[in-house]
Amino acid sequence: MERQQAQDFIGDILELPRAGELQVLLEGQQRLGTRFSGCAISQNALRQQVRLTLSARLEQKKTSLTLNSIDDREQIAQAIERAFATCRHLPDDEELMPAPGEVIAQAEHTRRGAAEAISIDTAGRWVAQACAAGAAADIDLAGLLATGNNFTAYGDSAGGFAHERHDRVDYHVTASGDTGSGWAEHQGIEISRDSLMTATRRAIDKCLAAQSPRVFEPRATTVVLEPQAVGDLLAMTAWYGLDQRARDEGRSAFSRFDQRLGRLSLYSDPAHPAFPARNFSNDGEAVGRGTWLDHGELQQLITSRYWARQQDLPAKPWPTNLVLDGDGTPLEELIGDVDDGILVTRFWYIRATDPGTLGFTGMTRDGTFRIEQGRVTHPVVDMRWNESVLNLLQNVSGSGTPVATGERFPLVMPPLRVERFNFSSLSQSPPSIG
Amino acid sequence: MYELLRQACDTARAAGCSFADARYLEIDEQTLASRDHALAHNNESRDRGIGVRVLYRGAWGFASAPGYEPAAVDGAVALALDIARASAYAPRADGVGWADEAPWQAEFHSDYARDPFALPLAEKADLLLAANEVMLHNPAVKRAQGYLAFRRVRRWYVNSEGSELHSDVTSSSAMLWAVAVGDSDFQQRSWQAPSVTRGFEAFDRAQFVAEAERIAAEAEEKLTAALAPEGTFDIVTDSENLSLTIHESVGHATELDRVMGYEVSMAGGSFVDRDKLDRFRYGSEQVTLMADNTLRHGLATHGFDDDGVPGQRWPIVEDGILRGYSTGREFAHYIDQQRSRGSCRADHWSSIPIVRIPNLFLMPGKQPLSPDELIGDIEHGLYFEGMDSFSIDQWRLNFQFGGNAVWEIRNGRKTRMLKAALYQSSTPDFWNACDATCDERFWRAHGVTNCGKGDPMQVAQMTHGAAPTRFRGIRICRGRD
Repeated sequence: MERQQAQDFIGDILELPRAGELQVLLEGQQRLGTRFSGCAISQNALRQQVRLTLSARLEQKKTSLTLNSIDDREQIAQAIERAFATCRHLPDDEELMPAPGEVIAQAEHTRRGAAEAISIDTAGRWVAQACAAGAAADIDLAGLLATGNNFTAYGDSAGGFAHERHDRVDYHVTASGDTGSGWAEHQGIEISRDSLMTATRRAIDKCLAAQSPRVFEPRATTVVLEPQAVGDLLAMTAWYGLDQRARDEGRSAFSRFDQRLGRLSLYSDPAHPAFPARNFSNDGEAVGRGTWLDHGELQQLITSRYWARQQDLPAKPWPTNLVLDGDGTPLEELIGDVDDGILVTRFWYIRATDPGTLGFTGMTRDGTFRIEQGRVTHPVVDMRWNESVLNLLQNVSGSGTPVATGERFPLVMPPLRVERFNFSSLSQSPPSIG
Repeated sequence: MYELLRQACDTARAAGCSFADARYLEIDEQTLASRDHALAHNNESRDRGIGVRVLYRGAWGFASAPGYEPAAVDGAVALALDIARASAYAPRADGVGWADEAPWQAEFHSDYARDPFALPLAEKADLLLAANEVMLHNPAVKRAQGYLAFRRVRRWYVNSEGSELHSDVTSSSAMLWAVAVGDSDFQQRSWQAPSVTRGFEAFDRAQFVAEAERIAAEAEEKLTAALAPEGTFDIVTDSENLSLTIHESVGHATELDRVMGYEVSMAGGSFVDRDKLDRFRYGSEQVTLMADNTLRHGLATHGFDDDGVPGQRWPIVEDGILRGYSTGREFAHYIDQQRSRGSCRADHWSSIPIVRIPNLFLMPGKQPLSPDELIGDIEHGLYFEGMDSFSIDQWRLNFQFGGNAVWEIRNGRKTRMLKAALYQSSTPDFWNACDATCDERFWRAHGVTNCGKGDPMQVAQMTHGAAPTRFRGIRICRGRD
């Protein structure tokens, strides 16, 4: 739905009888997911959805109703009436804030990406070409090409309105051989056949290099983390550690930590060209650029409008993407300065082990290699690690150029070289498929 | 309700599809979340739509559309066919196997005594707020939270083989958290009410209040608890903690689509290759793990799956030996089975069905054994309660799990609380280290409501269960230096 159409639709809803303040969120999704395994398309599905969420507020009481049908005006009117009736039975929530009433201009990056140009037929042909490349190399390929054309629109009875299209492309591919695997991705808002094949070949090459891994006895060592590994870990960090109120109330790792965290900057920017993201929240707040770490110095974190008012701070809504800057050192140079260490393609299954120190655990997968005397010498068996992000950021000794990554949340991350990264236990050589 | 679905399958068959099925789902949900003294969130949702799956010249196509209008159904069939034609650009070399199944006409209704959707909001809110009040009564607790979630899925399923199936399943789940803050630390303690396909009668206000008081006190105790020792120890897991370990190290590992590489790019594969069936010693003789999608109140009990196959009960591990996998109709032939285990489910009308973990549980010990007796045989060990940090590799081998609360065992008795304790092992090593599990008096079921799998991610629910169980010589490490 385009901006004017969405504005008219939401305007009509706001004209319906209501007993108090009303917020309207309209989300549309059309997503084709072409999934493959064993060098064949195994699942191929089109999802078309629309969701209309009506949030009713009476003084300090609020409730919401979500429908997935937007054609029945009578049903919508009844839902509004029911939401306000429900409100009357709620206890007061003193932290409830009025609707922002903010008109948010359409971001310049909102545009039709190449995702829309990829038809069902084209997606099938491109994936078939990738599968053929795998078969030609006698490598088993599995992955997903997903293209989504989405929109979100918001309006409220205080005069607020926002709308944005956000196209999305997610291509990731795992190449598996008898004793090792490789992985690559292409994330963003557009994709071409060439970029898809480039990622495919990268995964195949990595897989070929990953065969016959040797055991590296787990210990603290220097690592070079490729962007997915960095992004996967920092996204978890944001979830556990970037809330200002938790920090102020003693419920965060940053409540008792005031040291400098290395020298990199971590920020969010919905207009970042490498991976643009939504510029407003589901609550109708503008999401601008937010800096969380400025050259290693912790800044004001995510701050709700309620907490901002309590603390006399500016509100900073949840980010819609996350960017870590880097100093642009080529990956080869990051590796070249390592006498003895490990190159990690990808992390997997990261979970917090201690929120109080931002301690996490996870596994390496799909391409883990030994670095000796500045060269990648051989693949190693995957390992588990246990590490605190506070330590990790302080131990960064080099960084590369940020690139788009993140299958679920838009991230722009550089490769990092980190000293004294703590590997704790071994997995096993990959078993054969089937 | 079946007519449009029947038409969809007929249209697909007329277009040359060898198989087609169509589902119409009505999904109603309510979630309530409390924050300290307030109800911070209350959302009710109503979601309706259809999903059409076709097998055309050996290639799959799936399309979905909101609502249940003839034009939407026709459109979904046409799109599913277009998508299947595109899938045919890269067909499976060995074709798509499809296990036979009789055409069924059946209905399944989960039972409940108190319809959670019909109850006054105040009664539901009161349950959470009463628990929060109790938690906040403890001065160390600086944040009390809770949620209630209710879900009702009405499903109508038709396939081109003549099956016409209807299910109506209502489930309820709840959780409480207390966060205690001290001068030098903060700690969280939670309690999860067993998630079940029942109504509001699953929740007891007195139990919520009692658990709230307990977890608040234990959150405070965690603040000053000693760091766990590192090394090799005997451990005991309570039923909730072990439920998640069963889920991760057995449930996912024995999904046959994972074994066959269908999930390699996202959730991963499995070390449990087909050659291990009926041969591999998964665990000690004490370990029998049963799958049961007929389990009353089980979250994966829906009467039949999204392949049109009735729910079944079968062994995954029997007396320590691998005896089975979870399968769908596309996968049964890989282990030379004529029939699917009926474990293929989609989380939504817009999702394609995939093999999912069934209700899966560790059978209780056959000899009378209480938790005190179980612990009594340990000189120095750890007792893990509740779910916390959990991570496992993509082959389901190397894992590391924590507990929401952990106690030290000294000379056969549970003693002081510890924090940051994690047990780390490899799946077969761990299950072979099991030397005893308590008897059926102490067996409890726990629901998993957020099982992620698929690409795009689908979230499924299933029930696990166990009695307190002992494992010898397990590596303990710490999540904090």
